[in-house]
Amino acid sequence: MRKFDLELAVGIFMIAGMVCLAYLTIKLGQLEVLGDKGYEIQAVFSSSGGLKTGSSVVIAGVEVGRVKKVVLDDYQARVTMSLPLEVKIQEDAIASIKTKGLIGEKYVEISPGGLDENLEPGGVIRDTQPPIDIEQLISKYIFGTVSDK
Amino acid sequence: MNRSYLWVWVFFFTCAICVSIPAMAGEPTEMVRKTTDKIIAIVTDSSLEGPEKAAERKRLVREAVSEQFNRKEMSRRTLARHWRKRTEEEKIEFIDLYGKLLEQTYLDRVEGYSGEKVFYEGEEVDGKYGVVKVKILTGQGTKIAVEYRLKKAGDDWLVYDVSIEGVSLVNNYRNQFNSIIVRSSYKDFIKKLKAKVEKQ
Repeated sequence: MRKFDLELAVGIFMIAGMVCLAYLTIKLGQLEVLGDKGYEIQAVFSSSGGLKTGSSVVIAGVEVGRVKKVVLDDYQARVTMSLPLEVKIQEDAIASIKTKGLIGEKYVEISPGGLDENLEPGGVIRDTQPPIDIEQLISKYIFGTVSDK
Repeated sequence: MNRSYLWVWVFFFTCAICVSIPAMAGEPTEMVRKTTDKIIAIVTDSSLEGPEKAAERKRLVREAVSEQFNRKEMSRRTLARHWRKRTEEEKIEFIDLYGKLLEQTYLDRVEGYSGEKVFYEGEEVDGKYGVVKVKILTGQGTKIAVEYRLKKAGDDWLVYDVSIEGVSLVNNYRNQFNSIIVRSSYKDFIKKLKAKVEKQ
């Protein structure tokens, strides 16, 4: 009887450990198991600047969703984002890819618009702003001034 | 009998080709090209040179620009969610002030025109929205990418946003204005905007 209790305790402990591990895997890996309750919208950028699946989508600095997919479409980057149902995006919203800090990771910032019409699931944000390529800006500045003199 | 039919077909095809060539460049591009050419013609016009003609020159450029830009659409997009809360008078006042602010900021740049070349790189049309991609080649040999975003209004394509090197004008002002309005109030913001416009 006593031995059975010990085995039971070990078993419960093991199961609890596995549940914790599964929870951590899902949380840290940002996986979605129980289906998505939100909806998806898309935006086409001339450059994604290294935006990755799982990058955050923010409005006013608040994380509201995640990047689901980044694919090449006619030599442009088509980004699919998933957002919760309660966050509505207007048709004239502007999506821009930004960098956390100077060389940090990339994220998508949506600046809300003023139209009454909201984007349907699967809709496309028309106005986008690719990340600013600092290297390119510097080279433009340098070559611009060098050939000037 | 056969030969005369052939000539009829040749005639029709020639006509069809002649008609379709001007339409191929696409309406939005044509609109942007027309306005750009008009402005370049004004600033390079030797009869309008000199400081005493500056006011006249500015007036002509302003006219050409306002024909091509949809000021209401631009204002609405810039104020974004604050636009809906405004009364009709406030909207009209804002359109006027914002237009003046843009004029002050950009008219002087147009005045500084020194033979930059404009290349039309292509356009995308999606329903009533269109994008015209342009490259401006400066005297120093640098290329600047400019995108005009247009919306069809009746028969015309009017510009509602310009993005230079990927930085959108409307988004820039939208963020600035929003942060002022959220921090203080719309009244305060209008006061600031008025002061800025009247300072010059």
